[in-house]
Amino acid sequence: MPNVRVDPEGIVISLDPPESLIEAAWRLGYYWPTRCYGQAECTACHIEIVEGEHHASPIGAEEAATLATMGPRGRQVRLACRTTFDGDAAVYKRGVRVAE
Amino acid sequence: MTDQLMNTPVGVPFAMTNGNRVPAARYFDRDFARLESERLWSRTWQMACRLEEIPTPGDYVTYTIGDQSLIVLRLDETTIRAYQNACRHRGTQLAMGSGSFRGGQIACPFHGWRWNLDGTNSFVYGEGAFTEYVADPLELCLPQAKVDTWGGCVFVNLDPGAPPLQEALDPMPSLLDPLGIDLMKVVWWKAVDLPANWKLAMEAFIEGYHVMASHPQITQGQFDDYNPDALAYEVHDNGHSHYINRPGAQRSQRRKVDYLDEVEALIDASRILCEGLEAMTLPSDLHVIETLRHREVAEDASLGSELVKVIYEHAAQQGIPLPKLRGKDLMKWGGVFFVFPNYFVLPQYGNALCYRFRPVHGDPERCLLELWSVSIPGANDDIGKPELQGPFAPDDTDHWPLIPLQDFANITRQQKGVHNRTFVNTRISHIYEVGIANLHQEVDRFLAQD
Repeated sequence: MPNVRVDPEGIVISLDPPESLIEAAWRLGYYWPTRCYGQAECTACHIEIVEGEHHASPIGAEEAATLATMGPRGRQVRLACRTTFDGDAAVYKRGVRVAE
Repeated sequence: MTDQLMNTPVGVPFAMTNGNRVPAARYFDRDFARLESERLWSRTWQMACRLEEIPTPGDYVTYTIGDQSLIVLRLDETTIRAYQNACRHRGTQLAMGSGSFRGGQIACPFHGWRWNLDGTNSFVYGEGAFTEYVADPLELCLPQAKVDTWGGCVFVNLDPGAPPLQEALDPMPSLLDPLGIDLMKVVWWKAVDLPANWKLAMEAFIEGYHVMASHPQITQGQFDDYNPDALAYEVHDNGHSHYINRPGAQRSQRRKVDYLDEVEALIDASRILCEGLEAMTLPSDLHVIETLRHREVAEDASLGSELVKVIYEHAAQQGIPLPKLRGKDLMKWGGVFFVFPNYFVLPQYGNALCYRFRPVHGDPERCLLELWSVSIPGANDDIGKPELQGPFAPDDTDHWPLIPLQDFANITRQQKGVHNRTFVNTRISHIYEVGIANLHQEVDRFLAQD
């Protein structure tokens, strides 16, 4: 299973594709910032891929439309609710922690 | 034939007063449509979605009827729920279209209130300022509509006091279940936006009397020699009806030379259906039927029984679990089964074509017709989530094959014609169009209830 490291905390999430990064985090008992809960609407779950970008799933139309609302950004910015990985990677996301 | 007099339903405008005439205003009057919304659509079981649309817990579709919307949701492997689609805070629709709720949460986009998939409230943002409302968790639960399943579909009913689904559907499950319709999965799903009243549009499919004039390709040049009595019509309680090929109407001549002529006629007819409808007879079935040309048969073989043999041989080869049928169930192949108020099943071999008609909110002269081609999958067939194509215009030749185009053209012209000031009511046959009278009488039964 691909391992994705979430900086700055260094939490490692093991994905079971096709589940998205946020779904893997939920499955493993982590809190991940979101408002819409996986509907690709709110952008609160967005990540910046810092390593292994080539392992990220392609951007679909729904995600592209929502990313476009975020204004200028690096091309490594993705939604955790619409991104999965087929190999190891590292992302930057503040606020991820063990759920209460 | 004298008009069949009926008891006039009390308080129903443009009521059915006899079984041979339908008042034309039922197809365009706005007050009548409003009454249907209040008393019919709010109380009848309706096909809300295919089960393949919601295979995984959290998967949902929204079902809209008039100005009402439900979230039809798979809660777990065995449980489906239907929730009223309005945030209990200020009414925002919680879901649109279809999709999957993730993280076990249904979240309102407006102020972030949330619900668990079981309908209980899980989060009120700034909860302390709402003490009066959050004190009673039941008040914040998503209200449920009745939900049940039949024939590969989810059915819903907005009326908490409605009878059980199986009671309302009776006797249609007993007629259709033997054919394995619950095993069928979606091949394609398309919609057409029809400029017609939903009942008027449906009526074109409740009778086969129109086939001679409207679908000359199907009659293969017989025109008005095409026997209108080859179809046997039957009406049932609860507004349902069906028609099938009359037993013996297509009997083989049982002579070799005629047998081969019959085979060619069957192949031609099957090709017309396959290409003209793109459903019921699928390309694989056509291929199977074409093998009848070279099949060794006994001197007294009948085409019907040879057709059944090759269909079952093909199913066995492909791992298609086509149920073993008795003769009277085989006669249902090619029939049309209308399930009140707005659903149809047209079974053929291991396939069916299904229709659902819905009025478009606020306009009695528009309806949305969806068509599903469904088929029992073979052992190696993948079953994905079906995706709706359209809605397309009724004259869109890029997206509709011949036979639907012919039906849609009639429906469009008829809706215009019923406005003619000299046209007060339709005139319907007590035999060929008896299902139409039955539909309207059942509508009135609902409209007469406060």
